[in-house]
Amino acid sequence: MNCPHCAYDNLPGSEQCGHCLADLTQLDRPVAQDRVERSLMEDTVRDLHPSPAITLPPTASVQQALDLMLQHQIGAIPIVDGGALVGILTERDLLTSASDPSVASTPLPVGDLMTPNPATVRAGDSLAFALHQMDVGGYRHLPVLENGQLLGIISVRDMLRRIMRVCKTRGW
Amino acid sequence: MELARNLKVDSVSRLHPTPPWQVRPDQSVAEALALMRQHRVGCVLVCPNEDELLGIFTERDLMRRVLAVGLPLSVPVARCMTRNPVVVHPKDSIGAAVRRMEEGGYRHLPVVDPAGRPLGVLSVKRIVHYLAEHFPSIIYNQPPDPNVVPLEAEGA
Repeated sequence: MNCPHCAYDNLPGSEQCGHCLADLTQLDRPVAQDRVERSLMEDTVRDLHPSPAITLPPTASVQQALDLMLQHQIGAIPIVDGGALVGILTERDLLTSASDPSVASTPLPVGDLMTPNPATVRAGDSLAFALHQMDVGGYRHLPVLENGQLLGIISVRDMLRRIMRVCKTRGW
Repeated sequence: MELARNLKVDSVSRLHPTPPWQVRPDQSVAEALALMRQHRVGCVLVCPNEDELLGIFTERDLMRRVLAVGLPLSVPVARCMTRNPVVVHPKDSIGAAVRRMEEGGYRHLPVVDPAGRPLGVLSVKRIVHYLAEHFPSIIYNQPPDPNVVPLEAEGA
C-alpha cells in the first residue's frame, strides 16, 4: 500500500504513512458502486425514522407485554429499568416461554424472559452497519440509542422498505 | 453489481429456502410449537397431506390468536393458523418476494411449486443475508464499533 504523497510502501491497512505521516484511511475506505450501496453507506439509522420505543419495566407481566404488542402491532419491546435499556422482549421469547411447560405454569415477569443486553445501533450509524448487525445476530429489531438514551427501534421491515424505495425497480 | 437488477434476475430458489416443516390441521398448537422450537424456526406449514398447503402457523398467530385470547395450547392448529398465505414460486424473483414480504409485513413466505405443493419456506432472515452478501466490501468492512479507529497497527 503505497503512500500517495511520498510513495513509501506501507503495511496493507495502515492508517498513517510510516514515512511522511500522511493519513491513509481514505485509501482503504470502500467506495459505493451504485445508488443502493451509496444509500447503505451514507444514510443513517436516523433516516429510517425509528419508531418511538414502547417500553416496559422488567417487572411487567407477560400479559402486559402481549397487550402492548397487539395494541401497537409490534414484535419487540425494549425493556427499560431506571432509564437504562436492559433487554428486549420479542415474540420469539414469548414463543419459547409459551411452549415450555415449566415456565407456562408459573407466570414470570418479562425481565426473566427477555433477551438481556440486546445489540443496539446508534442513530448516526450507517444503514450498512445496522444491516450487518441484523444479519450477523439474526435480529429483526434493533433498539436505537442516541447519547446513551433509547431513541426508538428499527425493524428489518423498515430496512427492506428503504432498500426497495432506493431500488425503485418496477415491473415485478 | 447493481442490486436493483439482481433482485429482478435472481430467483427465490437461489436463496435455498428452509425445509417446509409441516403439521396436520388436526394437530395441536403445542405440537406445532414443539416442532418450531426443535428446528428453531418461526413458522410451520399446515398441510393435510404432503402435496397440499392449507395455511401457515407463525409466531404472530401464536401471539394474536392463542395467547392474546387465552386459548389453551391443546386447540387444533387449524383454528388459529393463517389460511391461504401469500406464497412464492421457486422461479419468482427475489425482488418479488421482498416486495410481498414488505407489503404484507410477513417474515415468512411458503415456497410452492406451480401445482401448489410446498417446497420450503423463505424467511426474511435469508433475505437480509442475501442483501448483506451483496455488499461484502461495505458490509463486512464495518468495524465492530464504527466510531473507534485503532491507533496502532496490530498483527504478528
